[in-house]
Amino acid sequence: MAVLSEGMCPGLDEVLLRGLRAADVKTVEDLVSSDIEELARKCSVSYKALFAIRRVLLAQHTAFPVSGADLYEELLSSTAIISTGNPSLDKVLDSGLYTGEITELSGGPGSGKSQVCFGVAVHISYQLKQSVIFIDTTGGLTARRLLQMLQTETSNKEEQMEALQRIHIFRLFDVHSLLDCLHSLRSGRLQQASVGSGSVKAVIVDSVSAVIAPLLGGRQNEGMSLMIQVAGTLKTMAKDFNVAALVTNHVTRSGSGEVQPGLGVSWSHIPRTRVLLEQVEKSLVSQSTLRSATLIKSSRQPCHIKEVFDLQWWSRSKEGSSGKRKLEETDS
Amino acid sequence: MFCVAEASLYQQEALEAVRREGGGAAVESLTALELLQKEDEELRSIVTFSSQLDAALGGGVQIGKTTEISGGPGVGKTQLCLQLAVDVQVPQCFGGLGGQVVYIDTEGGFLLQRVVDIAAAAVRHCSLLVEDDEQHVAIDTFTVETVLSNMFLVRCHDYVELLAELHLLSDFLSNHPRVRLLVIDSVACPFRKHFDELSQRTRLLNGLAQQLIAMATSHEIAVVITNQMTTRVHGSQSQLVPALGDSWGHAPTTRLLLQWMGPHRLAAIFKSPDHMNSTVQYQITSDGFRDADQSEQPQRKRPRTDTDQSAGHQRDTSC
Repeated sequence: MAVLSEGMCPGLDEVLLRGLRAADVKTVEDLVSSDIEELARKCSVSYKALFAIRRVLLAQHTAFPVSGADLYEELLSSTAIISTGNPSLDKVLDSGLYTGEITELSGGPGSGKSQVCFGVAVHISYQLKQSVIFIDTTGGLTARRLLQMLQTETSNKEEQMEALQRIHIFRLFDVHSLLDCLHSLRSGRLQQASVGSGSVKAVIVDSVSAVIAPLLGGRQNEGMSLMIQVAGTLKTMAKDFNVAALVTNHVTRSGSGEVQPGLGVSWSHIPRTRVLLEQVEKSLVSQSTLRSATLIKSSRQPCHIKEVFDLQWWSRSKEGSSGKRKLEETDS
Repeated sequence: MFCVAEASLYQQEALEAVRREGGGAAVESLTALELLQKEDEELRSIVTFSSQLDAALGGGVQIGKTTEISGGPGVGKTQLCLQLAVDVQVPQCFGGLGGQVVYIDTEGGFLLQRVVDIAAAAVRHCSLLVEDDEQHVAIDTFTVETVLSNMFLVRCHDYVELLAELHLLSDFLSNHPRVRLLVIDSVACPFRKHFDELSQRTRLLNGLAQQLIAMATSHEIAVVITNQMTTRVHGSQSQLVPALGDSWGHAPTTRLLLQWMGPHRLAAIFKSPDHMNSTVQYQITSDGFRDADQSEQPQRKRPRTDTDQSAGHQRDTSC
């Protein structure tokens, strides 16, 4: 929605502007959608002049067609596929997270959504030497866990510290600060974050449902609009800056008791790829670290591909807790 | 946009103004390295007085996070809460936090007599540890009376009172910067009645969860909430699960389940972003929440059948 201003196009001078404003025509949208003939009579300007102005404005504000060949060129030069660091997950995601797209992980409590997010963040910052923005809305992020994952990758302290420095964390707990944060990232912070430490390749929001769910349900419409705003901002950011957006979502149960991603139907159109994470073992207090990932929406791969992976993948080999496991094993 | 047009500001100017405004109030970001340093220096944990549970939780109940304790009636949820309310006050020179506690009681289960018992045991425990002068001074001020005076009890009868209290609590915490623990015992009780519409309940609970974690982060307190159990029916089978539904399950950072296994009490971590799921045994004594007797140790291995399998798997990946 652009406001009409002087010099926007030839013929749109101050006198005319004042006239238009008096007729309650303030934005380009107002002018284009109004009846020119009537407006010409109201503002006492020539129909021809107004018509010309409208044509110029339309030309200025229109979208223009791009040929498929050009788009393909651009796609080849700008899109990157970022590996998650886990081969099974990569298989489900058709080799990784695509930049310019929103990928969603959904799953119940303790299904490993945050662990996958940590793993991806560590993989990008350590293996790919790129920056990551991590927006934590549930308080689940601990740097200690990130360090633990890094320690399995390298024992070099300096490299660990460098990798940690490439992960930028925002901790915010309501939808308004999330929107603020996304807007500020869009208007420059994203590039600032990249200076000196590799460009930002991924924005992770863990979780998007935590801030939106308190606004939905009951008879509230405001939440819906805020949700769509978050979605729009994320989408344009991913596209404009060529970053991969990874978001997490909670699950709800449908009437028949089936597990489905939360936030309803309107949100389901937002992510390009959706993956449902579940515990392989269904009992409540399971010790297993095996999780299954099911593809439930994708524009590239057939849906319902299912892969089983181990959350310990990101912390293979030596680790504090694994030592404990072995201890238990020996004395049982 | 309309007010912009009316003030006849140019759009660019307006955008500039918005940007400047946004730049000032923008959300703070920090790198993972800064967060790590902060965690190491400021955000310590509250010990539970059960060394096994502390080990499983990585030092105890974390500051700046929310922890849910769920379990059936009589398994020891309130006892653990009371224990934590005392433990948070252990002076810093004994490795504690020297903090204060806000205890929101919604069930009426707060028993002062038990607090006195637990506090007396904690004081006794610390007085046995006294070694240097600093600890001598500290133990003089760490008595049952001071423990009780550093405890702020709020009794809430329904969910409106609870939500109202939480809205006001932020100011209270600003005025009492030493508070390091907030206990809500329990969150389930007020939310399991008086609701005709479940979506309304889910909405309020989700809002409450965000409020709690925001408070935990900004005031650097640990939030401990207790939850009751409910039965979920799968066809012909049924299972005991924590109450308040699936979407509430995402809210707490760490979830603990206390349950009976024959004559033993078990505490299981089943959701945690930085620790493995594990199960430990504990007991409730007249002194409070403690490790189970060492002589009974071997028995606790029995309930789990998957340990060997997962440990075996882990060995595979580590090769």
